[in-house]
Amino acid sequence: MRILVTSVIALASSAAAFSPIITSRSFPATTLEASKCGQYDFDVAIIGCGVGGHGAALHARAQGLETAVFSGADIGGTCVNRGCVPSKALLAASGRVREMKNDEHLKSLGITVEGEVKYDRQGIADHATNLANRVKGNLEASLVGLGVQVIEGRGSLTGNAHEVKDEATGKIYTFKDIILAPGSVPFVPPGITVDEKTVFTSDGALKLPYVPEWVAIVGSGYIGLEFSDVYTALGSEVTFIEAMDNIMPTFDREIAKMAERLLIRDRPIDYRTSVFAAEVIPGIPGEKPVTIKMIDAKTKEHVETIEVDAAMIATGRVPNTKNMGLEKRGITVNRGFVAVNEKMEVLTSHDEGATVIPNLYCIGDANGKMMLAHAASAQGISAVENIVGREHVVNHEAIPAACFTHPEIAMVGPTEEQCIERAKAEGWTLGKSQGNFRANSKALAEGEGQGIAKVLFNKDTGKVVAVHIIGLHAADLIQECANAVAAGTTVQELSMMVHTHPTLSEVMDEAFKGAVGMSSH
Amino acid sequence: MKFLTASVAALALLSSSEAFAPAAPLHSRVKFTQLYAGTKITMPALSSTMKEGKVVSWLKNEGDEIEAGEAIMVVESDKADMDVEAFEDGIIAKIIVQEGEMAPVGEAVALIAADSSEVEAVLAEFNAGGSGGDATSAAAPPAAAPATTAAAAPEVPFSKIDMPALSSTMKEGKVVSWLKSEGDAISAGEAIMVVESDKADMDVEAFEDGFLAAIITKEGESGAVGAPVALIAENESDIPALQAYAATLSGAAPPAAAAAPAAAAPVAAAAAPKAAPAVANPAKADGERLFASPLARNRAKELGVDISLVTGTGPEGRITAADVEAVASGEAKVKKPAAAASTKPSWTPAAGVVAATPTARALAKKAKLDLATIKGTGEFGRVTADDVLIATGQKEPERKKVVRPGAAAVEMPSGPVAMTGMQKAVSNNMMATMNTPGFQVSRDIEMDNFDALYQNVKGKGISVSALLAKAVALAIEKYPIINSSFSPENGGTIVYKKDINIAMAVAIEGGLITPCLKFANERSVEDLAENWKELVEKARKGGLKPDEYQSGTFSISNMGMFGVTQFGSILPNGTGGILAIGATREVIVPCKQAVLGMKKVKQMTVTLTCDHRQIYGSDAALFLKELANIMENNVNRLTQ
Repeated sequence: MRILVTSVIALASSAAAFSPIITSRSFPATTLEASKCGQYDFDVAIIGCGVGGHGAALHARAQGLETAVFSGADIGGTCVNRGCVPSKALLAASGRVREMKNDEHLKSLGITVEGEVKYDRQGIADHATNLANRVKGNLEASLVGLGVQVIEGRGSLTGNAHEVKDEATGKIYTFKDIILAPGSVPFVPPGITVDEKTVFTSDGALKLPYVPEWVAIVGSGYIGLEFSDVYTALGSEVTFIEAMDNIMPTFDREIAKMAERLLIRDRPIDYRTSVFAAEVIPGIPGEKPVTIKMIDAKTKEHVETIEVDAAMIATGRVPNTKNMGLEKRGITVNRGFVAVNEKMEVLTSHDEGATVIPNLYCIGDANGKMMLAHAASAQGISAVENIVGREHVVNHEAIPAACFTHPEIAMVGPTEEQCIERAKAEGWTLGKSQGNFRANSKALAEGEGQGIAKVLFNKDTGKVVAVHIIGLHAADLIQECANAVAAGTTVQELSMMVHTHPTLSEVMDEAFKGAVGMSSH
Repeated sequence: MKFLTASVAALALLSSSEAFAPAAPLHSRVKFTQLYAGTKITMPALSSTMKEGKVVSWLKNEGDEIEAGEAIMVVESDKADMDVEAFEDGIIAKIIVQEGEMAPVGEAVALIAADSSEVEAVLAEFNAGGSGGDATSAAAPPAAAPATTAAAAPEVPFSKIDMPALSSTMKEGKVVSWLKSEGDAISAGEAIMVVESDKADMDVEAFEDGFLAAIITKEGESGAVGAPVALIAENESDIPALQAYAATLSGAAPPAAAAAPAAAAPVAAAAAPKAAPAVANPAKADGERLFASPLARNRAKELGVDISLVTGTGPEGRITAADVEAVASGEAKVKKPAAAASTKPSWTPAAGVVAATPTARALAKKAKLDLATIKGTGEFGRVTADDVLIATGQKEPERKKVVRPGAAAVEMPSGPVAMTGMQKAVSNNMMATMNTPGFQVSRDIEMDNFDALYQNVKGKGISVSALLAKAVALAIEKYPIINSSFSPENGGTIVYKKDINIAMAVAIEGGLITPCLKFANERSVEDLAENWKELVEKARKGGLKPDEYQSGTFSISNMGMFGVTQFGSILPNGTGGILAIGATREVIVPCKQAVLGMKKVKQMTVTLTCDHRQIYGSDAALFLKELANIMENNVNRLTQ
């Protein structure tokens, strides 16, 4: 907390130096009445307090804006409470269980574990809950510490511009600008009944109420893949049910193929592709299994019925934009998604002739541009930049993403398939270079030599277009690449940058050097 | 060179390939074509620095149909090995550059005909000098067939999967795992095995549709690059024939039963659905009907009491509201759920549901086991991986060990332990006796007199062993054939031995050895006893000289001290007989002179094993009779 306070002062003073008007404002705002911003109650309202809303709030305060957040009693949002954060706790714990149960791997390092490796399911579940609570606490403390007014209720729009209604109290506040950051909720396809006990979304799965003998995971995206990692480490068997023709359809094909070998085939996992889980009926633990009826994705004919202990529905997420008064402001959503321009300003609709609704922004999952916590935060900061008059556009191409399986998968930029299309359409030449974990001393020292990192670049300019990594700590390795994409760094420049030896970063070094015809070792 | 062949990374692609515009799209596989009479496949430029390339392997043979996008060969450049894909459909008319040969970039390596009718035209044009005229390589025989002395291939359509070259330095590859089992249908492009090379583990894909007929290189085994690792049948019915053929390729005898399980499999599979009871609505787990009044049910709901756990006190055990309330207030005890905690609930899967976990399914498929025949122990009676492993004998079922209170559970040694040199020698010596036609003859010897003698002389340090050796040696003197050995010389020779050297088996730490009392017939029993003591001492310390344990002409094995009453020995090679001696015990025998018509005597059973090539039953019988005579009636001869 001390660090936070210090940084507050620093930010406040620097803000003061650049915008003298703000210095006249009271800081921090302690009561609503005390914070009159000219004709409005506040400068900016943020509806939703996930990672996006939090990022926007912090930046708004840094710019000296009087800020209120409608938390909807959910500070931290999906990421902190029901997503990235608790799932990392489960992955960390189950990953260790997997490691310690892997006799062969331990033996290769000269280690033997006597007796059986055991875990306490409740203990692991508590670790996830405790972590989420702690991060949530930190988030809340930082908001309060920075002088953000946190309003417990959910915020909704009224028919009037500049107004937000507190759904809990019915009170209406006025703001110069409003940022919508309502986030998303798990998508449950029709035919599937979720009881959050035997048939659950990530919301229920994170509570880890029990470890099923056999769990079906509907959808093989990030969330499904991460949970398959957790479940198999703890002893479950997994069946993926994927509607697309390929498993892991959103991943780069080459990476997906490798992931299939490393994360699926060597584990007690099987899968069905091109099928829908048309009907999922919850069971009763110990009494009645979960019944899943599958139909062919194309012919819609019944193909198979399985009876499993649990089913996890990981078929994506839909915006949490219902009942927040969007229609009152003339906003037409598409499958719940709010249309925005690249400055995050809300548009009346997704149609071509849509117009900007002034002083209204939408960030995060609700606009569907990139449903990632750190993308939401970046968009929030960008929206505030635009609010204070510094035009800003988020470069989504430079936002990395990671899947925290063992080993991890990470990427920035489009897939190779998309790169090929793009190079063709835009008339440039695509280059590709690859680094290998098996050639990396650190990876070999860990006994984790499986994996690749591929760099896709524009041969004409040398600029990095995309990087896809599967391998040990890929999620940490991707940052250098994301920075390169953001800064337009060329492979020629990157190839001359010195990487620490012996570290996993040398996998990237190998790929960068390879891109310009150099050998790294 | 850290690239994976199946998904090759190229640094610089195809700028020199004529088929491509300068802005050629990057692809993990190379596509190219050139117009020819049919089509000419040229050596592609796999990197900007590549001047020539080596054809590592052809994935297709002459006459094979190829499809656009299908990998047809692997080319090694200065940077990587890459799959080269066909750009259009056709038939490989001619392979010009054979496996292992080099060609400059841009040179034709093979000719493709649009269809089979055009193959001849393409060949004619090629032979007429249409190409650079690489006559030698064109005329070169196809890549050397795998060096096997295999039986002639069966006349069924099939193809081989060869160990691929995954890197330029790879000489052999290890099959890490088969992703398909024998009998599985496979389709082109599907990963069928994982191969470990010096660089990476990678999936190897099938290049055509068919059935995995026979696996030649098993999981964990290695094969030379280019050697066949499996056979692919075009038709499922040809699988047994190909399995027999595969057995000759791998050097093993064709498994006689190989055809049987393959043929039986479909039958079992067909039977499976019948076995699954077609019960749509599963019965309640315990099948017990619950009698409870509506009021009781409502109260249970209100109070949050599981009504199935309430003991009814109403008529016919009906549960009343009062029963529910008693449970809720803690007055009455909750019924124990009927063994629910210890046993898995019984559950009848719906029709068509395979009650088996993913791993169990995969394992059963691999082992060609019908899941319906395995009793599941998982949730809802589901077959688990362990159930399958137990069924196949790969895993031992969990045993309920009863341990006496206060006693530690006995841990049985398990698994292989290397033999000591001595144990190996024993093993070898025993195997060497396998060709000896031995036979056994037993008789009882009364031991009262012998025992009396022993009691008399043991004070002088004379052991039973020495007395026995002496007795046997004296009996041999009368029947020297017992001391002979057989030699195959001249079609059969009896080798008599002048010396009577009695070898006696001694169990020592980590083995068994036979110290030998030489000239036992000639020496005094005192001498023998002293010598024996010395030999045993040396044996324990491992200090016996070869002459002291290899010179036996006749052997004695005595297990009497362990209470063994009778046993047979294996005849050591190079000798004619061995005497197995049991314990001396007291028995009642008929005796006319005795008061009760019977008397108690000490008796010992001896069993002689002889080589029947030169020693016959009568010889053995006479020898034993003489031995009995000495030990029963002439014991004083032993100490003379």
